Amino acid sequence: MEKVITGNYAVSYGAKLARAQVIAAYPITPQTSIIEKLAAFCADGELDAVFIKVESEHSAMAACIGASATGARAFTATSGQGLLLMHEMLHWAAGGRHPVVMGAVNRGIAPGWSVWTEQSDTLAQRDTGWIQYYCESNQEVLDTVIQAFKVAETVLLPAMVVLDAFVLSHTSEVVDIPDQAEVDAYLPPFRPRWKLDVDDPHAFGALVTPNEWFELRYKIQQAMQEALEVARQADEEFGRRFGRRWGVVESYRMEGAEVALVTSSTITSTAREVVDAMRQEGIPIGLVKVRLFRPFPVPDIIEALSAVDKIAVLDRNLTFGQCGVFGEEIKAALYDSPRRPPVFDFVLGLGGRDVTPATIRQVAEYTLQHETPEERIIWVGVKR
Amino acid sequence: MPEREARVIVFRSVEEMPPMPVSLGTTLYNKTGSWRYIRPVYRERTPPCSHACPAGEDIVAYLGLVADGRFREAWECLRRENPFPGVCGRVCPHPCEANCNRERLGGAIAIHEVERFLSDWAAEQGIVPAPGQPTRPERVAVVGSGPAGLSCAYHLALQGYPVTVYEADALPGGMLRTGIPSYRLPREVLNREIAAIEALGVEIRTGMRLGGNLSWDELATYPAVFLALGQQRSRALGVPGEEAEGVLHGLDFLKRVNRGETVPIGRRVVVVGGGNTAMDAARVARRLGAEVTVVYRRSRAEMPAIAEEVEEAEEEGVTFLFLAAPLEVLVEQGHVRGLRATRMRLGEPDASGRRRPEPIPGSEFILEADTVLPALGQEADLEGLPPDVGVEAGRVRIERSGETTRRGVFAGGDVATGLGTVTAAIGSGKRAALAIGRFLRGEPQPEYPPLPENVRAFPRPVLPEVVTFEELNTAYLRREPRPEARLRPAGERLHDWAEVRQGLELETAVAEGRRCFSCGTCNRCDNCLNFCPDISVRRRGDWHAGHPTYPYYEFDYDYCKGCGVCASECPRHAITMEEELLWRR
Repeated sequence: MEKVITGNYAVSYGAKLARAQVIAAYPITPQTSIIEKLAAFCADGELDAVFIKVESEHSAMAACIGASATGARAFTATSGQGLLLMHEMLHWAAGGRHPVVMGAVNRGIAPGWSVWTEQSDTLAQRDTGWIQYYCESNQEVLDTVIQAFKVAETVLLPAMVVLDAFVLSHTSEVVDIPDQAEVDAYLPPFRPRWKLDVDDPHAFGALVTPNEWFELRYKIQQAMQEALEVARQADEEFGRRFGRRWGVVESYRMEGAEVALVTSSTITSTAREVVDAMRQEGIPIGLVKVRLFRPFPVPDIIEALSAVDKIAVLDRNLTFGQCGVFGEEIKAALYDSPRRPPVFDFVLGLGGRDVTPATIRQVAEYTLQHETPEERIIWVGVKR
Repeated sequence: MPEREARVIVFRSVEEMPPMPVSLGTTLYNKTGSWRYIRPVYRERTPPCSHACPAGEDIVAYLGLVADGRFREAWECLRRENPFPGVCGRVCPHPCEANCNRERLGGAIAIHEVERFLSDWAAEQGIVPAPGQPTRPERVAVVGSGPAGLSCAYHLALQGYPVTVYEADALPGGMLRTGIPSYRLPREVLNREIAAIEALGVEIRTGMRLGGNLSWDELATYPAVFLALGQQRSRALGVPGEEAEGVLHGLDFLKRVNRGETVPIGRRVVVVGGGNTAMDAARVARRLGAEVTVVYRRSRAEMPAIAEEVEEAEEEGVTFLFLAAPLEVLVEQGHVRGLRATRMRLGEPDASGRRRPEPIPGSEFILEADTVLPALGQEADLEGLPPDVGVEAGRVRIERSGETTRRGVFAGGDVATGLGTVTAAIGSGKRAALAIGRFLRGEPQPEYPPLPENVRAFPRPVLPEVVTFEELNTAYLRREPRPEARLRPAGERLHDWAEVRQGLELETAVAEGRRCFSCGTCNRCDNCLNFCPDISVRRRGDWHAGHPTYPYYEFDYDYCKGCGVCASECPRHAITMEEELLWRR
């Protein structure tokens, strides 16, 4: 069934179709309509879930962790400051191996206050042990929530489904809502081997000595590495069942491309238009979209990018004292590649500043005109 | 049976390890209850309603049963303490409701209406209280068959004692029958509740007047006597002219009307007084067709009458003249023609705490009247009592137990207390019955609280502290409105003697039961069970089969860490945290 819905509602429908059993959330712009919709689903009996109102995002995550520990499928959503307040519990979810899934709406971090999109809030959580997907469209958002549960529950790690504030969260598109029966067949109930059980009590998350701590960390890394293949398979199976695939990395018009734009989230859609236009002009340019950010799909990145002459990474984020996060990650991935094309790292669109086709053409042209970047960060549009 | 011993596991490789920090063995061996220094204990406290009830009804218990639709048990619970629920549900001024904590969130529970509902429901169902037979040899004499006398007889009968009740009038019931009009208390209600007392083997001998055909010598043959003579003598107006024809004491007027006599009254009736007898007299006079004015020397706020009675009198067209007092009954040819009265104002508070009325000089006026009904209260008539039954302030002098100065003779109700309400009389009769039982069995008397505080015939273990509104956890208590009382239209009820108040529908009674906060009393809300972070609260009994066992929950002290969440989340303050050291001793 097709519906015209916002990106936020796509998150809500995804969680509903995944039959989330416990939802604990605290409202924050621009996430609020996600949980309002879920609360309505619960209240109307359309979703058989416990909706827990909490006093903070920290509590929201704690409640999800507790629920997940009992074997319930747990879901939450947040944004910006709320995500940062969750930080301690994000580590706990991953370390405790609780496959909670979260809708995370990208928002600039205060101060100064911003409600507009920027990826720095979610990227700041990259070391917490959470799987992270960055989505380009409302349909991808809905599909990814369902896939995320499958991957998370297989490897026992939590997963974030990330979408841009307003550009997706509050923008309506036509979205195909899959049949519940099909989703049920794709995503069986969560049945963890280890769970909180009153009749068989075990201690969870207790003190661990240096004798075992190291091994537990090793296991998280193993699970993360495993998650890459699991995510590929989950996407393939999704494609077979629902007729849509998104890939962990997507190459667009990369045949014979000499320059590759590397994008994530909604900038990708704008960049496709620019690539199409430049190809029409005969310029050999293509695009690589990074959908799965954690685990970082290093082999897929190398395969997609090692043949080009130059790489332009578009970063709507910044890690202070280094560069854009995607730029940093792409450079690190290519170090393992026999060919290491120069990587131009463009920082742009921070705090929700518009990234238009003209902005992206500026990025492309700079890359075409320069052998190597003049600066470690190429600032696009900064008034300096 | 899961292991309860600690186990040490050494992993040889990462493959043997679980993915997360989880113990492989059970944690049951780890008795975390040993960390506790305070422990939760279910300790029920006194709700303000039953604390305020002079008859000592276990109100919270029967409201809880009504909430569950268990009317029969509720009715039995109610009747254990008070044989007159149908009467009290109608004529008690319900101090329980004045103290109800629900008042702050939607209005007090309509307790008297539920009480009345239970009595009427049982009667409609044809449920008759179980009859009984005396089991003890000592027969007790009760003088007076008003609420105090019959309550005493009832509670003596429940203890197995045979009782003979002497009543001066032709029918039993005392003031309930002679003083209260049938539109407030239908006679069939009174009759059925008296009949149920008689069914316990209580003998009622009517037409036996102490000092008349009943001599003290006859009473002195009983091993114990309870005096419940009431207050039969009306207070005088104390102004010139009150002997004139057309001046009739309010209570005498009521007695005669209630007996079915035709009482001639004039067109213009003036009632003097502000109590319930004044209201009854005024409303009866309205039903007899008179224009009625009530003259009261204080203002409306100081009226001792039940507020609803005053409202209903007003609805029925009774005129009120506040802050006015008679100075003289004006007489013409031996018959009343009016009152000379004065305007009053309120001065300094007197001993009763009410502001003392003072005449305003030069404010005299004439109030024309054909009949004057003074209703200024009553006094005890102590004729026929022997000199060793001590008297104080015009009443029989009693200890808190009801014992008089003469051994084996007890007294209660208005003749001894002057408290003037049905429920106070019932409470004092019950207390005396318990004291008489102890006296006859040679048991020591416990310490009784001062009247009108109550004594339970069937006490539950409840802490004496009264739960205040502030002690309730209002996070769980919504505002819910009190139901409107159902009254017949004022114009209709002036034409007959049928009951004015229509009582509660069954659904409304159940809703009132549910609206009760159950102050200090566990009502199985599950909050403690749901909030316990250590899963250390368990239900007792087989709840699936509907058989909870009291107390409804138990704590697993092996694992309860004493965090106190249960106690703080209990909406009704029924869990206390007690120092562990006191338990360890």
